[in-house]
Amino acid sequence: MTGIQHEPVTSTDTEAGGSNQRRVRKIPFMARLRRDKSMLLMALPMVLLFGIFAYVPMLGNVVAWKDYSPYTGIIESPWVGWANFERVVGDPAFWSATRNTLAITAFQLVFYFPVPIALALVLNTILSKRIKMTIQAITYLPHFFSWVIVVAIFQQILGGAGLLNAFLRSNGFEPVEIMTNPDTFILLLTSQSVWRDAGWGMIVFLAALSTVDTEQYEAAAVDGASAMRRMWHITLPALKPVIILLLILRLGDSLSVGFEQLILQREAVGAGAAEVLDTFVYYTGVVYGDWSYGAAAGLIKGVVGLILVLGANKIAHAFGEAGVYQK
Amino acid sequence: MEPDIAGVDGSIPGFLTIPTELVKSVSEVPGRGSSFTAMTPLWSAIPPGKDSNEYMQIVDETIGANFQFNIVDGNDYNQRLQAVLASPRNVPDFVTVQSSGMPARFDDAVAANFQDLTPYLAGDAIEKYPNLAALPTAMWSSCVFNGALYALPYASDTIGNTVFYRRDILDDLGIDPNPTSAEDFLDLLKELTGGGRWAVNDLANGGAINTIFGRPPQWVERDGKLLHAVETEEYRAAMEFQAEVFAAGVVHPDSVAGNVQQGRQRFISGEVLITGDGVGGWLSTLRAARPANPDFDMYPLPLFETVKEPVIYRGTPANLFTFLKTTDDEDRIEEQLALANYFAAPFGTEENALLDYGVEGIHHERGEGNIFEFNEKGERETVRTYTWISRSERVAAEVQYDGYVEGITEWMASVMPVAEEPLFYGRTLVVPTEFSSLNAPFADLEADIARGRRNMDDLDRQIENWRESGGERMREFFAEALEEER
Repeated sequence: MTGIQHEPVTSTDTEAGGSNQRRVRKIPFMARLRRDKSMLLMALPMVLLFGIFAYVPMLGNVVAWKDYSPYTGIIESPWVGWANFERVVGDPAFWSATRNTLAITAFQLVFYFPVPIALALVLNTILSKRIKMTIQAITYLPHFFSWVIVVAIFQQILGGAGLLNAFLRSNGFEPVEIMTNPDTFILLLTSQSVWRDAGWGMIVFLAALSTVDTEQYEAAAVDGASAMRRMWHITLPALKPVIILLLILRLGDSLSVGFEQLILQREAVGAGAAEVLDTFVYYTGVVYGDWSYGAAAGLIKGVVGLILVLGANKIAHAFGEAGVYQK
Repeated sequence: MEPDIAGVDGSIPGFLTIPTELVKSVSEVPGRGSSFTAMTPLWSAIPPGKDSNEYMQIVDETIGANFQFNIVDGNDYNQRLQAVLASPRNVPDFVTVQSSGMPARFDDAVAANFQDLTPYLAGDAIEKYPNLAALPTAMWSSCVFNGALYALPYASDTIGNTVFYRRDILDDLGIDPNPTSAEDFLDLLKELTGGGRWAVNDLANGGAINTIFGRPPQWVERDGKLLHAVETEEYRAAMEFQAEVFAAGVVHPDSVAGNVQQGRQRFISGEVLITGDGVGGWLSTLRAARPANPDFDMYPLPLFETVKEPVIYRGTPANLFTFLKTTDDEDRIEEQLALANYFAAPFGTEENALLDYGVEGIHHERGEGNIFEFNEKGERETVRTYTWISRSERVAAEVQYDGYVEGITEWMASVMPVAEEPLFYGRTLVVPTEFSSLNAPFADLEADIARGRRNMDDLDRQIENWRESGGERMREFFAEALEEER
């Protein structure tokens, strides 16, 4: 696309009456509309999509302040003030779910988040294009498996009746409990995430790395910089904005640690280890029919998530990074 | 028609021969060409969709209606139902609900979504639908919600659940399972486990553990006081036993990991030798297993004394209900009821044969003694769909599965002497909303205790918590209901 459809900025000043009052805004609204119309048109489908599927349904959150029954409807259901929120905050099961969620997030931040970066760095050092592409394809393909398949594969291999334990049993060893041990569940979850998504996550870092001018490496090498130093001074600074952006997004998402993956394994390890906020909302709200209660819990989660994103973004600004948005 | 094996105290009767000439019980085409949607459960392989399902095409043509079934895995049915009911506009024309799986606020849901059938079926009105009128009164009385007749009953098997064992394999092993106590039973389970084979699926599935310990369903009256099932010694003993069973390593690991869906398959393949199931599961398991393994045989485990003398609680007279979506169109309701009347045609009729076995030459052949023998197409297409909406009273007539009719009639007659009617038998009591999630924590707790993640002290705490947070009030509610009944 070329830029020729942009009107010259100066010509807009003379247009239309009353432009004096609008001097603060250099370009009148109509002119900007005309100038950006193709951009706006392109954004329109997404805005509509978000409007219909994200913002309009958000109005339904009002049931958190009601004693909602789907059979009487949102409007007819009686208001109950903050009662649902009080019940949520007073429910030990909610706090247990919150603890599990935060534990999983913290654990994955340390043991999952760096994996794609490391993978990208390693892959970036491989010179053979063919090997690079092969490894990349192998590592990112599992991303396209649904969680049902991933969990089933793990169960088939590591489960009590799976390959590993069948082998152990037939050789006279004690079977190992991997899929049903609540104490090591967080490890299992993280390894599943790494197996499924690390290769996919790597792509964005590889893209960032591809923008680095190779001459920089050559120049550094000529200056006698070791491989480690080149990585530290050239590669990592190039990745920094992306890493910070993804870190912020991850923090904002820290109260969502995946729904399917957990609900599929909840039976195996018990609610004590596998109940997270999302599954808590699902069980209390949808399964047990306490819709308002579930909505209140979900809303608390949403508000905390928003605070986390804003906070992380502020920190990013403080470090001089762009973050998710700028003023 | 007189059965060859008569029922005893309500046990189901059996037919050992199939009449050559089937009779017609419905003379007119019941449908008027309308289209209907229906949501029904299924505990076996989902059949092909209507476009490639000649069974559905032929039945639709014969009954003069156009059915669109939404068939849902029975194990996930109740969760799905909750979401469907919450969206009244999308409620199907026929909705099947398990009596054990009524979601929260169900009485609200009934009033908002479903049609009051009282004017159409009460008193003499039902005479218009002779096959429905033939269903026993106890079944109809369990269809009363909010004081009105709202549902069509699905005739139960009299006894709801039992525990099956693989008779063929245990015979081969030379084991006659006849435990005399819980300890004895556990020894049997240990004996059966080994070499890539496990004794049992999680005994919580199919209510096996409740069957073994004679745990009452819901409420029971002891010393003049109502006790909830979770407060009984039977329940406690069952939970302690579950922990022992899991600790002994005799439960199939996939079942330990919470996989319920494949439970029946594990039993069929012989990876598991004992499993809990509904009595109706006897037939569907044979149907799934026999084509590949003609020697497959199963039989209910004999009852034995645990904390009390053996007892079996009768299942509700109708263990499923089908509701009709509310409408102002009286003709449509009458058409729906006429269709239900067709589906409730008894054994020995053309209608019943069509619904259960499809069409001769397409889905089945008539074998020796006129028996219905499914061909491969029949196995695939002819599964329970229309007859969830209503069916006639249960008789055992599936002679094609060698030994089944004799087995189920003999077994059921043998347990009827210890069969008891639970409290509120023949009545469907909807738990008020304020108590609807009260029992929910027990599901997780039971799974945790069995797997050794929590212990009996946690159970005591949970029961105490249950009493304080509504259990006592719920007791009063049901005590009053019982008072009214008497």
